[in-house]
Amino acid sequence: MTHEGPPLETLLHRLAETPAEFLDEPKIGSKGRVHVDSVVADLLRLHGAAPTPSEMAAFTGKDASRDRNRLAVTLLLTWLAADEWFIKHRFNAATLLPLLEGTARELAEQTVAGAFLTDPDRSEEITRITLARLDFRPEGESSAQAQDRLTSLSATERARVIAAARAAELRARAIREALAKKAAEESADKYTRE
Amino acid sequence: MDADPQPTDLDRYPTLTPAGQRLLSFLKEHPHAPIYRNESGNRLLPEEVTRVRSFESEVAAAAIDWRAGEPPRWLEEFTASTYADVPHYRRQGTPPARFEDILSISRADLSRDIASFVPDSVPVERMINFRTSGTSGHPLLLASHPVVAASYLAFHKRALRRHGITLLAGAGEVGVVLIGHQKKCFTYVSVTPTMNEAGLAKINLHPDDWRDPEDRAKYLDDLKAEVYTGDPISFAELLTLPVTWRPRALLSTSMTLLPGLRQRLEERFQCPVLDLYSMNEAGPIAVADPAAGGHVLLQPRMYVEILDEEDRPLPPGERGEVTLTGGFNFCLPLLRYRTGDHAALDFSGPEPVLVGLQGRPPVRYRTTSGSWINNIEITHALRPLALPQWTVHQAADGTVTFRHAGMDSLNTQLRQILQSILGDGQRLHVEQQAFLDGKVIQYTSDLADPATT
Repeated sequence: MTHEGPPLETLLHRLAETPAEFLDEPKIGSKGRVHVDSVVADLLRLHGAAPTPSEMAAFTGKDASRDRNRLAVTLLLTWLAADEWFIKHRFNAATLLPLLEGTARELAEQTVAGAFLTDPDRSEEITRITLARLDFRPEGESSAQAQDRLTSLSATERARVIAAARAAELRARAIREALAKKAAEESADKYTRE
Repeated sequence: MDADPQPTDLDRYPTLTPAGQRLLSFLKEHPHAPIYRNESGNRLLPEEVTRVRSFESEVAAAAIDWRAGEPPRWLEEFTASTYADVPHYRRQGTPPARFEDILSISRADLSRDIASFVPDSVPVERMINFRTSGTSGHPLLLASHPVVAASYLAFHKRALRRHGITLLAGAGEVGVVLIGHQKKCFTYVSVTPTMNEAGLAKINLHPDDWRDPEDRAKYLDDLKAEVYTGDPISFAELLTLPVTWRPRALLSTSMTLLPGLRQRLEERFQCPVLDLYSMNEAGPIAVADPAAGGHVLLQPRMYVEILDEEDRPLPPGERGEVTLTGGFNFCLPLLRYRTGDHAALDFSGPEPVLVGLQGRPPVRYRTTSGSWINNIEITHALRPLALPQWTVHQAADGTVTFRHAGMDSLNTQLRQILQSILGDGQRLHVEQQAFLDGKVIQYTSDLADPATT
């Protein structure tokens, strides 16, 4: 967060206005329509970088259940990184690719892509992370202020994810126990059995 | 206090009346009754009896009028609620804009973690389980509910109405005998509250479950059940008994019912024999109707697709994997669930029909000329026979072994049929054998099929 970047509101507004093409289904196997590798390659070219096939391989998902959310987050990050302000600063592939791959993966593990548009805190988080990974902070904030706010947002989300995971585990255990009870094992009347 | 108390009769029959109790006693204490090994019941609370009756009326009245490319109106809302309420889907975010982009699931997914497919909104307190055999290598423990189990009857009634039959059994009468024929079988008696406590007996024809094997026919004759349900194996055994009672219908599930056996059952019992396509994951899905050319769908809130291996829906008439969305088990809403069974869809009539339904993926067999035939050709060729169950295996050297649970006297005819399909000079073993362990994988081969390798 060494450098001062654009106003946070500008990027939040841009995120809110994400075009439908960037919200469409990532192409994975026979499913989806958006070739995320092509979108990423276009972004790199906008920044003056030359994408290579091996670099783009990370953006062609193989398993929809694993890659769908990650690639959907990549599309959002790509849209943010295509903001005029960033393009003017021209980032190289070594700076952009970790954001679009690693950061997307980290965010996708905790949050479903749609939430970055519908939940104000998540919108702010993805916007601030984009700035931070490109070594910028929002206009008018000190590095410490920017770091504090991002840490707070991320910590809140982590706490929510941990609480949700705990609740899901308790619920799964309750279901497994309920299904193993003697009453459940007796089942109930059906006119036919399979 | 015991955390897992033994269920009581009040748990099993919450609405039981003295008349219902008398019927239970009649079923259990009958001088020719089998040795009932287990206990179970309808478990329906008073308000649930009302709910199931109302559901039956809805199912009876609803049309199944969706078409290829015109999915049912409820599909979008069902998909959205499943993505919101079911952990497996919620983890994936919002539903894809196009239904076809939803990733299918299979038995293996349910087998791995059933809890993640149960909606968060369903209370766990009254859950029951349905267990299924593991012929595909994935035994299942499925979440369900007494209301779901009782709701099966709505679809049976819909199927029976196609044959002009309205179930009438009520208080003091036996509505159904579920007939099994296995070494070990879950057996018990109950009453059906939605049928004014008509009786239900689940019996096993295996002689070990009877004090005297001759009691089997006597008991069935005395019960005068309105309907018998079972599978081709138990019905084949039923044919060997001197039963004189004529039920109003027979419902066959679990495995392929060949027209030959169906005809013999119809002649013997002078009633319609319905072949139901049904599974624990989804309940009764379709009923065979020769006039419609296949299995007619039964569930108004079940959307059926035929998919290729890449999850792409195939056009009407093309064979692929039967894939289900929707259903009536609110503990297990299905979203593009691959059944492992194969068929084509036909929309030429008023309702969608599954044509050429076959369990499990197709298997091809090499003929003596070097060409390959699909297992469905063998099934078709066997149609005139009264075979309750069979398996076909081709060994790596091309030898075909055909095992069946029919009469020994069929061996010569079977040999001729198989030779005509597989070619002159085919090395062939035809063996009669009892299959008393339930479902088997019917078609297998050790040969590498050039179409898939």
